[in-house]
Amino acid sequence: MRASKLWSVVRLAVALLFIIPVYWILVLATGYHGAVYHLPPVWVPLFHWAPMVYVLTHTHWMRYVLNSVGITTATIVLVVATSALAGYALAEIPFKGQTAYFFLILGVMMLPQQALLVPQYVVLFHLHMLNTYAAMVVPFAASTSGIFLFRQFFKKIPVSFGEIARIEGVSTLTYIRRVAVPLAKPAVATTVLLTFIASWNQFQWPLIMTNSPQIQPIELALSHYMQAYEANWRELASAALIALSPILLVFGFTQRYIVQAVAGGDLNAKD
Amino acid sequence: MMSRPVPADSSQPDSPPKSHGRLVTRQHLRDTVWGYGLILPSLLVFLIFFYGPALFLAYIAFFHWSIFASQSTFVGLKNFTTLLHQPIFWQSLLNTAYYVVAVVPATTLLALALALLLREGMGRFGGGFSRALIFLPHVTPVVATSIIWVWIFNPQFGLANVVLHFFHVPPSNWLESVHWALPSVMIYTLWHSVGLYTILFLAGLASIPRSVLEAAATDGARGWRVFKRILWPLLGPITFFVIVLATINTMQTFSQVYTLTGGPHGGAGGPAFSTTTDSLLIYQTAFLYLHFSLASAMSLILFVLILGLTLIQKWFADRFVFYR
Repeated sequence: MRASKLWSVVRLAVALLFIIPVYWILVLATGYHGAVYHLPPVWVPLFHWAPMVYVLTHTHWMRYVLNSVGITTATIVLVVATSALAGYALAEIPFKGQTAYFFLILGVMMLPQQALLVPQYVVLFHLHMLNTYAAMVVPFAASTSGIFLFRQFFKKIPVSFGEIARIEGVSTLTYIRRVAVPLAKPAVATTVLLTFIASWNQFQWPLIMTNSPQIQPIELALSHYMQAYEANWRELASAALIALSPILLVFGFTQRYIVQAVAGGDLNAKD
Repeated sequence: MMSRPVPADSSQPDSPPKSHGRLVTRQHLRDTVWGYGLILPSLLVFLIFFYGPALFLAYIAFFHWSIFASQSTFVGLKNFTTLLHQPIFWQSLLNTAYYVVAVVPATTLLALALALLLREGMGRFGGGFSRALIFLPHVTPVVATSIIWVWIFNPQFGLANVVLHFFHVPPSNWLESVHWALPSVMIYTLWHSVGLYTILFLAGLASIPRSVLEAAATDGARGWRVFKRILWPLLGPITFFVIVLATINTMQTFSQVYTLTGGPHGGAGGPAFSTTTDSLLIYQTAFLYLHFSLASAMSLILFVLILGLTLIQKWFADRFVFYR
């Protein structure tokens, strides 16, 4: 009994160590000017939001936030659509090439991303997609894990549902949209969450594929900001906090599902 | 809804399909059209942005090729031989090897330790909460959290030296030191990714039947013996999986190297190329110096290495099903 309580305390302490850096972003962003240089370090956030307001109003930061919101939203919508369609085909429609497509998707999962950047850049160049919003959305409009997830859930829907729909003359697309997808809500939720995290956190891809500040997403803007405001720690921390908050917010409410999805192997995560 | 003239018996799963030859053919055609139609959007994305580039990579690596010149000339292995004569290429391989060899074992051991600490039956409260906190860094955007780590590693007022001072260890210059810059990136990576592997280990631990542990407990096995004789052998497959996955991921580290070593310290990869890893060198060669052919040759080497590792991992994962 007492040993068990001790372990609880130990693991809570270890877990808190992990979020110290995240906590410190808040401390520095809302602390007094010069708090970063203070020794010993300041531990308590003062909740002065002035630097954050300054970053949002006096720089183009709002634009970058909106860019990220737009890119992320478009990607999520497309990924859910393409995953539901392909997942349905793999689960419910017997057609020649089904197995081949299954292995083709597995193949995509195995391609090393870092080795493909140069030829991907060339492809986007020839498609005239460099430096466009489309460059940050279309290549990520299909998700291997999303397709597998939807396939898995669609397979659980009783065969009779589809039979009835066919007798009633409901078209396949209507059936997917009105019956199958609503029955696969966990697949939708997991796909939305994982796509949100991946898309919001995009950095290297926009770094390579875009060069105009107007369309850059928040992470890329932040990296440029780091070079411009290198000594202005409070503004930097505020900007970082802005980039971080949507992730923290979403993770806070859905951490149980995210951790579950990862434990199930749905997230083919890269560092 | 318009009802189409479909005979009711054709939709009965029990009716043998062969007795309705014409209907089956029509149904077959319908399935083929719908099947391909539904996979088409994702298929196009995969072909254009992934398989296409993968094939193209094998092509440009053997050509002298520039995005601005219209013609390309076949040069055979010249790109590779040029590469072998560049000291920076060898330096980047060495840096990557050092990085992988240090990060992978450290991550695996720490993740295992954390998973054992967080597993069910270890404590009575806060399990899920602690799990979430340890996993949290993995979903944070790399640039945003790198900013705070640049501050932590600041030699004058950063937290890292305060901690060292507390333990009476002489301070370090961290990211500004040739010897400590790459280890600093390693520390960041450990922090950012150990949660992922902890969760995988936890899934592995959860799959161990409760009865096995109960039997061990009745036989009086405790602590270290339970780990050595029961948990560790049963965790073998997942450990291997974690090691390979961590190797694949660390071999491709880019964002934290770029962000932590760039900024106020001049160009990324410094000081003195001590943090120039393979991914960073490919990026710089292609997109700063515009040597696309050389970068492609490097990419192809990386491609083959990682694909080999991935195939080993897949082969292993198919053999041992360990989670859910």
